[in-house]
Amino acid sequence: MDKKVKTVGFKEGLGAGIVGLGLIYFFLPSMIQKIADLDFIQSEPFAMLSGTVLVLAVFTVAAGLVVMLANLNEE
Amino acid sequence: MATAQPVARKKSSSQIPLTYVVALVPVAIALNIVGGQINTALHLPTFLDMIGTGVVAIVLGPWWGALVGALTNLIGSFISGPINLPFAVCNIIGALVWGYGVRWGWGKKYWSFFLLNMLVAFFVSLAAVPIYVFLFGGATGHFADMMTAAFLAMGQNLIVSVFSSNILVSLADKILSGFVALAIIEALPASMTQGIELPKSTGLSRVLWIAGGIVLGLAIALIVTALQAG
Repeated sequence: MDKKVKTVGFKEGLGAGIVGLGLIYFFLPSMIQKIADLDFIQSEPFAMLSGTVLVLAVFTVAAGLVVMLANLNEE
Repeated sequence: MATAQPVARKKSSSQIPLTYVVALVPVAIALNIVGGQINTALHLPTFLDMIGTGVVAIVLGPWWGALVGALTNLIGSFISGPINLPFAVCNIIGALVWGYGVRWGWGKKYWSFFLLNMLVAFFVSLAAVPIYVFLFGGATGHFADMMTAAFLAMGQNLIVSVFSSNILVSLADKILSGFVALAIIEALPASMTQGIELPKSTGLSRVLWIAGGIVLGLAIALIVTALQAG
């Protein structure tokens, strides 16, 4: 009768956010190539990829800092 | 006995049942995608692709919101074209500002929640401008492009023109999205939203505040449209 409800906390949320970032990194090269193939785009794929990765790197660093600074030992 | 109680309370407030996550995250992604599609179809002076992000970032937490933002633009890039993917950065920034903003007390009062939505608009525009300018040369086919062209015609440079048009559209969009998200959160079961510091009001007052926020967002969108038409 005493059914235990499975719960998630900040740690799992942070992990999910990092997974989301990873998924973007995963599909970024092919999507950038598709963007570069569009008629009105004049930028080079390498420049677009580098720029996007630089911005996403900021989030990755932020997520890493949160892992270091947050108290994840709530359980 | 005296030390055990606060620990138990803290644990219950920071832990969310997994079923909430499983239920809310896919619905939020669907809400974002449908909102974005409606916006594109009707050529509205907004984006409407961050309502679900706002709901999840406020209810579940900023990084769950970031996941919703990332997945929204990732799935959106398969549905409506690759242009969506780089703008995942904006969706993630919006989730982090909404999520941390509410957790740092910016959601306690209606006026501070309004300011938080403006802050979201500012940071999202700040992230969107380099994407617009350096990736797409200033235009992606959105309503804001016409305003960018108007600012350029006034003699502004490309970065200032893109930022000026984007912040106007973003302000309307984030105020609208923030208050629609608040209305959705108010409709969620109380167990889902306990421990979240949101404006406390009841009955008609609550409805009026939320409706007021949505109307204000719509009014800004109308002003943007009128400016463009003029």
